[in-house]
Amino acid sequence: MDSSRHKGTGKRRGLRHRVRTSVPRLSRFAVEHLLLLPLGALIALVWANTAPESYFTFTFAIAFGVNDVAMLFFFALMTKEVVEATAPDGVLHPRRRALLPIVASLGATAVPALIYVPVVQALDEPMLAVLGWPASLVTDLAIGYFVARLAFGRHPAIPFLILLGIASDMIGFAILAVFSATGERHLTGLPILAGAIAIAYGLRRARIRSFWPYLLAAGGVSWFGFFWSGLHPALALVPIIPFLPRAARDPGFFVDALPTAKDTLSRFEVWWRYPAQAALFFFGLVNAGVPIGAFEPGALGLPITVIVGKPLGLLAGVGVALLCGLHLPHKIGWRELIVGGLVASMGFSIGLFFSGALFPSGQLRSEVSMGVLMALAGAPLALVAAWLLRVGRFDGEHDNPRGAASHGRTGS
Amino acid sequence: MSRAGKRRAIAVLFAVLTSAAVFGQPSRSFPNRTDSLKFAAIGDNGTGDRPQYEIAKQMENAHASFAFDLVIMLGDNMYGGQTPADFLKKFEQPYASLLKAGVKFQASLGNHDRPENVDYKPYNMNGERYYTYARRNVRFFALDSTLMDTKQLAWLESALQTAREDWKICYFHHPLYSNASRHGSSVDLRVTLEPIFVKHSVDVVFTGHDHVYERVKPQKGITYFVSGAAGQLRKGNMRPEEETAAYFDQDQSFMLAEVSGGDLYFEAISRTGKTVDSGVIHRTGR
Repeated sequence: MDSSRHKGTGKRRGLRHRVRTSVPRLSRFAVEHLLLLPLGALIALVWANTAPESYFTFTFAIAFGVNDVAMLFFFALMTKEVVEATAPDGVLHPRRRALLPIVASLGATAVPALIYVPVVQALDEPMLAVLGWPASLVTDLAIGYFVARLAFGRHPAIPFLILLGIASDMIGFAILAVFSATGERHLTGLPILAGAIAIAYGLRRARIRSFWPYLLAAGGVSWFGFFWSGLHPALALVPIIPFLPRAARDPGFFVDALPTAKDTLSRFEVWWRYPAQAALFFFGLVNAGVPIGAFEPGALGLPITVIVGKPLGLLAGVGVALLCGLHLPHKIGWRELIVGGLVASMGFSIGLFFSGALFPSGQLRSEVSMGVLMALAGAPLALVAAWLLRVGRFDGEHDNPRGAASHGRTGS
Repeated sequence: MSRAGKRRAIAVLFAVLTSAAVFGQPSRSFPNRTDSLKFAAIGDNGTGDRPQYEIAKQMENAHASFAFDLVIMLGDNMYGGQTPADFLKKFEQPYASLLKAGVKFQASLGNHDRPENVDYKPYNMNGERYYTYARRNVRFFALDSTLMDTKQLAWLESALQTAREDWKICYFHHPLYSNASRHGSSVDLRVTLEPIFVKHSVDVVFTGHDHVYERVKPQKGITYFVSGAAGQLRKGNMRPEEETAAYFDQDQSFMLAEVSGGDLYFEAISRTGKTVDSGVIHRTGR
């Protein structure tokens, strides 16, 4: 009896030690990648519900500059992470990480989208049901990474979930490109986009090493092409970033480039890292200010859908992938997939972006944005699920980070 | 006068007095002129429950002495199921006598309405989320406040700019001013729409969404009504503020209005037929 108590005490001490030693490593990441957006969102929530007239007057005045221009740099830096990590020498290259999370993302996006429509219909919000479902597709990579690290520590589930998030977001953005609640699409914008890509390609061929010509010439034309097409112009640098010359090796996902880095892509990151964080702050300020009075039961549709649908969809998607002959990475089973699905349920930054891209300000945008904020419940739920299912950091066998080291450098 | 003649006269007098007692209240404050525009306003009505039918009955009673030929619908015209059977139960049956009398319903949509309801013929929306029409010296603008996109705003600016009628009346679902505690004012919409309304001299705005009746004191020259209790009700939900001119949150209600020259007369009438607010708005010709 004594020995088992000692064993239990030792386990708890071990867990406390692991949390104490691992969380500080994540704290810098949290400060640099996660703090400003929630801060902006919190200010917005308080402001919109205490002095709504001044809040909306101010945020409407700056909305275009923030959402359509400043957010360019946030998506550019996210694209940089994805481009580097999934390149042949990247830590998340599909050949090394297997196609399974990409196939699984089909389930992780299809199931929430399919659930969303009947759930929101049942909540008697038919217009929201018809138009709001794309918001259920996406995952916030930064907050997802942070919560996944809290739940799993160093674990093969981390690269798996990052790839899942990237693939889900790509599906979401592809749908956003063709689906619009209110806007129109102009195919005449496509040649302009092709022109922007041609400029970027030409700059690359000419071995231009400064990022400014890519940004100003190719990026400028691309922004106009996106805008003219009816696509969201904040994504204008997404097709341009892959053309920026980069270093041969990827240091890891969400590992910041050193200030001394010489390659064009790293220089771009070093220059725009903090302006992009400022953009995120203002993005939260502009987009998260939902008046509580706008609440309708339909707002619950999104959190219900993603918190139930993502784990179910992930399990279903993985099931299909396994039937297709793909293999789960080492140490990932159904329990890790449930926790991973909860981690993936948080759309936060991308969810708020979708809310603004899908709807003009008003009832429906407020409901979707409320849903996005409520879906942050996925974080505590993921941690509780990890504890209950004894996975990742809460697994008694977690004391061997080296065992997971071979699964890639995913930042620290 | 013969004995039969006296009996007929007494019967007619009795009928007139009875009719005045039952139906007479709504027309008390109205000039009820033959050449005026008379209309009713209902919001958040489509429950298919008994109170909706009772309000419809009051509308029918009012119509007997105040022959309005137009009903503006302020959204949430249909709750829950929206099958053909629901349209029957929640619209065609309660308003059957008004529809039979040729009263035209002109709907705007709320957040509980299906987008495809714009094609439902008796709503007279002609497949459009937002549209305009004129009756006598009044131009109405039915808007879709659930999805107030830039295209609609550009259309509204242009439609208001070209309107030549004396009165400009806008109606839609979400209130720019409301002091009900459940939803309250849609300030985001207000910041967008109010400057357009002021610029183009809109006179009156009718909305629903909050399941109460409220008349707001003129804001920048515009009178705002919330009339969202023609089926639904949030009893005791009002938190009147300084800007509240009148309100009623104890029972379901609907509105009647008459536009005669430069005056708009209005009444809010409860489910029991009681007039809970009335008055007249004089067009300022801003």
